[in-house]
Amino acid sequence: MNFLRFLRPPTIADLRSILKIGPTAWGIAICLLVAAAGAPFVATYPLTILIYLLVFAALAYSMNFITGLTGYVSFGHVVFMGLGAYGWGTVVGTLHWSPLGSVVIGGAVGLLLALGLGIVTLRFRGVYFAIASLVTALAAVNIVLATPALGGGQGIILNLGFEPLSWFYAVWVILAIEVGMTYWVTHGRIGYGLRAIKGDEDAAKTLGIDVTRLKLFVFSLSGLFAGAVGAVNAWTVSGVFPEAAFALLFSLLMLAMVIVGGSGTLLGPLVGAVVVYIPHTYFLTVASGAEFIVIGGLVTFIALVIPEGIVGSLRRYVPILQGILE
Amino acid sequence: MPDATAIVDQLVFGVVYGLLLGCVFALVAHGLNLIWGIAKVVNIAHGEFIMLGAYGAFFLNLGLGFNPLLSAAIDGVIGLGVGLAFYFGILHRELRGKEAMTPRSEMVTLVATFGLSLLIANAAKVAWKGDVVGIPWSAGSVSLGSLQIPTGGVYVAILSVVIIFLTHVFFTRTHLGLAIRAYGQDIPAAQLQGINPTFVSAVGTSLGFAVTMAGGAFLTVLFPTGINPYMGALYAPISYIIVVLGGPGKMWGSLVGGLTLGVILHVGQVFLEPSIAYAVAFLTLIPVLVFRPEGILR
Repeated sequence: MNFLRFLRPPTIADLRSILKIGPTAWGIAICLLVAAAGAPFVATYPLTILIYLLVFAALAYSMNFITGLTGYVSFGHVVFMGLGAYGWGTVVGTLHWSPLGSVVIGGAVGLLLALGLGIVTLRFRGVYFAIASLVTALAAVNIVLATPALGGGQGIILNLGFEPLSWFYAVWVILAIEVGMTYWVTHGRIGYGLRAIKGDEDAAKTLGIDVTRLKLFVFSLSGLFAGAVGAVNAWTVSGVFPEAAFALLFSLLMLAMVIVGGSGTLLGPLVGAVVVYIPHTYFLTVASGAEFIVIGGLVTFIALVIPEGIVGSLRRYVPILQGILE
Repeated sequence: MPDATAIVDQLVFGVVYGLLLGCVFALVAHGLNLIWGIAKVVNIAHGEFIMLGAYGAFFLNLGLGFNPLLSAAIDGVIGLGVGLAFYFGILHRELRGKEAMTPRSEMVTLVATFGLSLLIANAAKVAWKGDVVGIPWSAGSVSLGSLQIPTGGVYVAILSVVIIFLTHVFFTRTHLGLAIRAYGQDIPAAQLQGINPTFVSAVGTSLGFAVTMAGGAFLTVLFPTGINPYMGALYAPISYIIVVLGGPGKMWGSLVGGLTLGVILHVGQVFLEPSIAYAVAFLTLIPVLVFRPEGILR
């Protein structure tokens, strides 16, 4: 439990250093605060759009922990989201806990699952990890669909009220914690370790970095937040439905957002979420399926031409932005 | 207590049908295996090219009345062209001038083909609607004891093994095949022998696509009503598992992996619910990766 010493309580110096977090973090913090202050005054329809934008952003940050920071591409991230939703649905449905408090259960399920899966699959490198993550996700979907206690193919149907503001603040809190954690992880000792792993894992190991533990740490964080977001997402539709909770397209969207925005950066997942969310919402009503043509084309283009993503490329090609964006 | 002979019958059926299916799965995965072994690229859009092969068979049947076996040959020829386009459109940018596959290039090709898979699957959905379609073609069935085996399934299984055998002959007995394998093993050393790296990797990739698309047409014989734009999402993971089971780059690996997976799937369905059988078949990948990362074959 060596890495837990990073989790010591903050000192005065720490609190003072919070003020010096840099323009990107300030910008995100101000945007989030404005959104939180303005949400009660927004009409229902724009608020729903905003809620799903935040859900997308929260998923992007969750994916960023593993794919962005370590370079491990996970195709099966929806499994954390889906089982987080099932954990939430079970607790709300059978124990009648409050939907808001039960979001924590969703996160806990995601965390435990990520720990369990990560111990096995994180030892595979590169494409082998990608394939193992995809296959475990598909297996989990098939097992859940055949489990009668979880409602089988029908899922868990709950009868909860329509409370967009609660959904909004739930996902807002998750997103704020994620941004904070991303900042904290990338600006500390762990960040150096993770960048070393992303650059060359064997060299990092030689330098004495405990690669297994670091990878497991960020993977669990990733699972925790994906599970919590899955719970909120299930709350917004008042139930857990297998096709929706385990839509493999969600994993692909998460990955697309991180790649488009710029993997491993602080601002990238937010930019990616906005860029992916606009065509996703626009085409959903116009021509279903067309949104993924746009997103897929964009991902292919970015991977081949500007692999650092939007934020990474702006940093590279616009010298003024180098000190500002991160 | 269920009847013992009924269970034996079901088991025999599971094994026989699993072997038939395994041969065709092996062919479908063989295309992935060739590209993985030669260019060291894992094509995430593999399933979408299987889907295109199946739709090719569907439209050839609809428009010209061709049977799937004939369509598979035409698909194969189309696949050669598609493979060339794929190589020069996507891989060439990344592989050109590289002496070995770096983890960075691996990620770039992984992500680029991932974007491509989203694009193709959904373009197919927009163009051909999401409906499940099928090919009304049946060659009757042969009876084996108390079992009824579809003759079409036997044909495609045999043809799949023949095609895998032919690629084996090509890669071990011909000059070009050996050159392609030399490229797959060590690019600088192959170049020293006068092998043009772009030419051989392009040929290898387009052969892989030809095999993949022909395999897609064969699948329509075993699953006559399963053609839809998202079928790639099922056959792509199956192909990855088969290739990893057999070992990437090993010619007979696809066949060994395919037969293993086919039998596990169908014998599993005798005792378990279908979705659990799929989960078990998928999870066989994990112990193989942990204990024999180089595949079952030595």
